[in-house]
Amino acid sequence: MEIEIQLVSGPISARHPSPLPAGAGAWVEFSGVVRGEENGQPIAALEYEAYAPMAEREMRKILEDLAARHPCLAARVIHRTGIVPAGEAAIYAAIAGRHRAEALAMLGEFMDRLKQDVPIWKRRALPRLEKAAAPAGGLPPAAHSAAEVRELLRQWCPPLGVERVALAEATGRVLRETVAAPEDQPPFDRSSVDGFAVRLEDGAARFRIVDEIRAGDWKPRVLQPGEAVRIATGGALPGEGLRVVMKEDALVEGDALAVRRRDGGRNIRFRGEDAAAGQALVEAGAVLSPGVAGLLASVGCSQPLVTRRPRALHVATGNEIVAPEQTPGRGQIRDSNSTLVRAFLGQWGIAPEQRRVAEEGGLHQSALEGADLVLISGGASVGRHDFTRQWLEAWGFAIQVSKTTARPGKPLIVARRGGALAFGLPGNPLAHFVCLNLYVRCALECWSGQGAGRDFQEGALAAGLAAGGEGRETFWPAHWRLTAGRAELLPLRWKSSGDLTALASANALIRVPRGARDLAAGERVEFLEC
Amino acid sequence: MRIRFFAHLQDVTRCAEMSLVGGGMDADGLWRRLLEAHPGLEKYRSSVRLARNSEYVGPDARFEDADEVALIPPVSGG
Repeated sequence: MEIEIQLVSGPISARHPSPLPAGAGAWVEFSGVVRGEENGQPIAALEYEAYAPMAEREMRKILEDLAARHPCLAARVIHRTGIVPAGEAAIYAAIAGRHRAEALAMLGEFMDRLKQDVPIWKRRALPRLEKAAAPAGGLPPAAHSAAEVRELLRQWCPPLGVERVALAEATGRVLRETVAAPEDQPPFDRSSVDGFAVRLEDGAARFRIVDEIRAGDWKPRVLQPGEAVRIATGGALPGEGLRVVMKEDALVEGDALAVRRRDGGRNIRFRGEDAAAGQALVEAGAVLSPGVAGLLASVGCSQPLVTRRPRALHVATGNEIVAPEQTPGRGQIRDSNSTLVRAFLGQWGIAPEQRRVAEEGGLHQSALEGADLVLISGGASVGRHDFTRQWLEAWGFAIQVSKTTARPGKPLIVARRGGALAFGLPGNPLAHFVCLNLYVRCALECWSGQGAGRDFQEGALAAGLAAGGEGRETFWPAHWRLTAGRAELLPLRWKSSGDLTALASANALIRVPRGARDLAAGERVEFLEC
Repeated sequence: MRIRFFAHLQDVTRCAEMSLVGGGMDADGLWRRLLEAHPGLEKYRSSVRLARNSEYVGPDARFEDADEVALIPPVSGG
């Protein structure tokens, strides 16, 4: 039976395969839809969480098990994860059979067993997330937690469109098509050593060398008993049923070959040994590492299909900032945020268009054309915050988040216009660093198509952290490293959000829970790698 | 070994995963260690199934450092 199983984070759009499997007389489908009410209360959405590899494996196991009793031809199951708004499908399951009876029976039993054994969980989405999922979602008034903002970003940032680019420019991008071997790999039997090809069953000690094959030669021939062909590593074997005697195990005089010793192996890399034609080599969603790029080159995939890069616009506002190469006057400071933002986006190969605008200055809407991501570095003051907000609203953005319960980043703005996303970042450099890594990174990773992106991991404090019992969840800059197999975090000195010195060695953010006072060295904490 | 928590268990542990060192543990030994780190898991113990490397295991299973172990509370997919 053919089985196809997918976990998807967006809406399910499933149709029956065309053509149906040979011999199919029935295609039975079921869609499980989120009801708009639970226990008499209206709900806007449910949130599904899956233990992905195991969920897929369990579903496959159940289907294989059921197939023994219900001889069906094919199965397709798609389960959605993340927020699923009411009225939309959380699961689609379909079975193809020769007759309807076995397909219907199998589908029913499959759904029963899925609800017992497959590690997927649903719960009511948080009311605020429900609002975000609802089509007519208005302005959520209250402050959001960092986790809520990150969850919203995951909903708002489906993978961007795709483009084909030259392999050399594709490194670091996310592959959006599964690349299969176009032919067997290796495509022909190749010698894995320098030596002499002889017939496999030919036990003679002396041979006559009748030809020579170098790598790149193609010289098929039928070897007779007593004949040998000199062959180089990587050379194509002249035929089947051969073995290669290593050069080191042979003595050559003119065209006479004496075999001194035979090892057990054939010293051949056989056709299709690495991958058979049609076999998936790299799955969609993989990041194009140098190794993947090399593999794609080896199978002729020179223009891979990858996620396009988002176009970004960065606006630094403020009357007090001057360019880094200028000497600030009294009351002025150098603009470090523009450099920070550019370097941050550079990690994804994104070169933002950057503008520096005085507070009362305007920026024409045309500057925004085509931008997927707009970052505005504002001040921390309420006045400056309002100014960013008015700007975004004038440009047609809907403000979705206007403050968070997290520190730093209380006055954080997140706004949307179509698929475009805008962030109003508090002006302090440290707050910038935190918000870029906590929120903008999340959006970029989701847009890239590589999945949910980086999340918090567990580590241990290398030194105490005097959090001071803040009433707000705090993201503390830290330096993390692996020590004896575990992540150790050194909290960095942080006096105020304007403190730049901590930035230089920060590569992580520690999540300090609300109300935490003094965390001792060795204590377990969660951190996000930057 | 890598321990993973799902659904409401994350509300108890306040993390999605943790690491434990100590190969050759049986399920009881593993639970002892888990409860040391997260005592709040105790009341869920009877309803939680253990999975090792993406497969359910029984009470006689042993766990090695290279394993990924998941605590699977009652599921509710579909």
